[in-house]
Amino acid sequence: MKDSQPTRWATTAELTIATPEGVLFRLPLAGPSSRLYAMLLDIAIVLGTVNGIGLLIHRIFAKAPGFGVMVITLAEFAIGFAYGALLEGFWNGQTIGKRLFHLRVIDQSGLPLRIEQAWVRNLMRVFDALPFAYLVGGLSVLSNPQMRRFGDRVAGTLVIRQAPLVAPGEEFWTRQKYNSFMDYPTIAIKLRRAATPELASLIQDALRRRNELASYARREIYRELAAYLQTEISPFPDELVEMLSDEQYLINAAGVLFGDQRLSKAYR
Amino acid sequence: MILDLERFQTQAGPRWSSLESLLVAIEGRPDRRLNPMEAEQLQELYAQTAVDLNRVTHGALAPELRQYLERLVARAYAELHYVPPTRSELWQPRRWLRIFTLFPETFRRQSRYFALAVLITVLGCALGGLAVHYDPAAVDVLLPANYLRNPVQRVHEEEQGKNQDRHSTLSEAAFSAQLIRHNLEVAMLAAALGVTFGIGTALLLFENGVLLGAVAVRYTQQGFGLFMSAWLLPHGVFEIPSILIAGQAGFYLARVLLHRREDRDVRQSIREWLVLIAGTAMMLVWAGVMEAFFSQHHEPVLPYWFKVAVGGGELALLTVYLLLIGRRKTDAEADNKLPAENK
Repeated sequence: MKDSQPTRWATTAELTIATPEGVLFRLPLAGPSSRLYAMLLDIAIVLGTVNGIGLLIHRIFAKAPGFGVMVITLAEFAIGFAYGALLEGFWNGQTIGKRLFHLRVIDQSGLPLRIEQAWVRNLMRVFDALPFAYLVGGLSVLSNPQMRRFGDRVAGTLVIRQAPLVAPGEEFWTRQKYNSFMDYPTIAIKLRRAATPELASLIQDALRRRNELASYARREIYRELAAYLQTEISPFPDELVEMLSDEQYLINAAGVLFGDQRLSKAYR
Repeated sequence: MILDLERFQTQAGPRWSSLESLLVAIEGRPDRRLNPMEAEQLQELYAQTAVDLNRVTHGALAPELRQYLERLVARAYAELHYVPPTRSELWQPRRWLRIFTLFPETFRRQSRYFALAVLITVLGCALGGLAVHYDPAAVDVLLPANYLRNPVQRVHEEEQGKNQDRHSTLSEAAFSAQLIRHNLEVAMLAAALGVTFGIGTALLLFENGVLLGAVAVRYTQQGFGLFMSAWLLPHGVFEIPSILIAGQAGFYLARVLLHRREDRDVRQSIREWLVLIAGTAMMLVWAGVMEAFFSQHHEPVLPYWFKVAVGGGELALLTVYLLLIGRRKTDAEADNKLPAENK
């Protein structure tokens, strides 16, 4: 039984799950700031709801204000806990705040959380909120590699980021008709071998955000990236590099990294 | 890059889209149940996409495609392995009413943690009581509220009806809600403090005990023993045991967390912790109602002997409830288990 349990380990920002079938996948963990924003939004929603109900109850119990106060006091308390527990339990691990900030609570084995887990992590708020402003919970999130507050640790849950994803389309740099870097296969292979996935993503992101960046920022970023590649990773001949703008240099580098695997037409 | 990404995406794209639409359909259902055909299709697409993910991870530099496939695989994995409760299971009133028998059953099953909570509270009581007995000046340190320090004044005010403004039904209702809420917060904290390996729970119970012992001795010393019993018993017989049960839940949680790696059924243990808290909440609602509507009325409105008798009756009922409800079933279960274990 124990062998069939999924194993898991965490890096700073993600949790890797190895399923019993031997499938390995990563889940990005939610950071403290997005969780804080989602929580503040949820608190605002709860306070708004409670006050709305309060006004209604005051009208209903206009002749018996004591009962009104009783209902409001108990409703406020119950809603404070039940809001998170019921929504997370029945709405795919999300409260309204979590849904808007693309967060989701899941079981630590990668499965949806169960209703009792939702209750446990929300009841444990009485401890996480100590001594004020969720200090204990906040410190717990910051000190834990899986960014779990005490409620999550007891309930065996995690909060992950779940931004909507679409199947990535093809980028233009993978379909270049001619890439001058391909004429230097040895250096191009060196670039492929030496570039880490992080560096490759950085180049891709920089090119993709071309139009979002201010022109001076774009020039500076492209210049730095191209200079780094040229000096540290793949020194292409000066006569070639002199003819290329920094942007074209990066487009060519991205073409080498992400493009057709056949390096040079001369090799075919 | 070993993989020809373009060809790969063209070939595998349709099955990713099918998996995605299947997942959207399943996730949109409230009960998230699969019919056998869907289950088969999901299993097949999951296996194929997992292989695709593996190929992208090891054969291509395509972080976004990898992330997309990881998300698909994670969602499919969750749907295949998660057994959600059915709607009929969730909305059966009989199922919810089970809490009334589950609570005493759980209480008895984990009674050693209750004994520990009682022991710590009694130690606190003894310390508070002895401190006030031998050094009456200790009340200034031990009892926070002024009304607790001056029984003469308090009893006089209560019996003269100076707190009459609180005694209308309407304000009693509001007072009762405040008491319920405050007590629930304390009880939940005692249960949650189990996460500090029980140290926080123990400190909270001990402090409660000191307060209780000091008040009891202070009032008895000044000849108000009967007043105090009549004042505290009607709600205290529920309130004090409920805080002790919350302490029991706290110690139980500490045990569960300490033995997490060896314990194969953490899920069941956590469920028991929740049942104890739910039971405590039910008891505290009753205690709050009694405290606001009954305990605050004194002689001549209500004779003290009557209030003490009501308190005694409640305690007897609570004892019967906690010790006997669900016992026959538990015994039968134990009998069934024994031969199986011996085999």
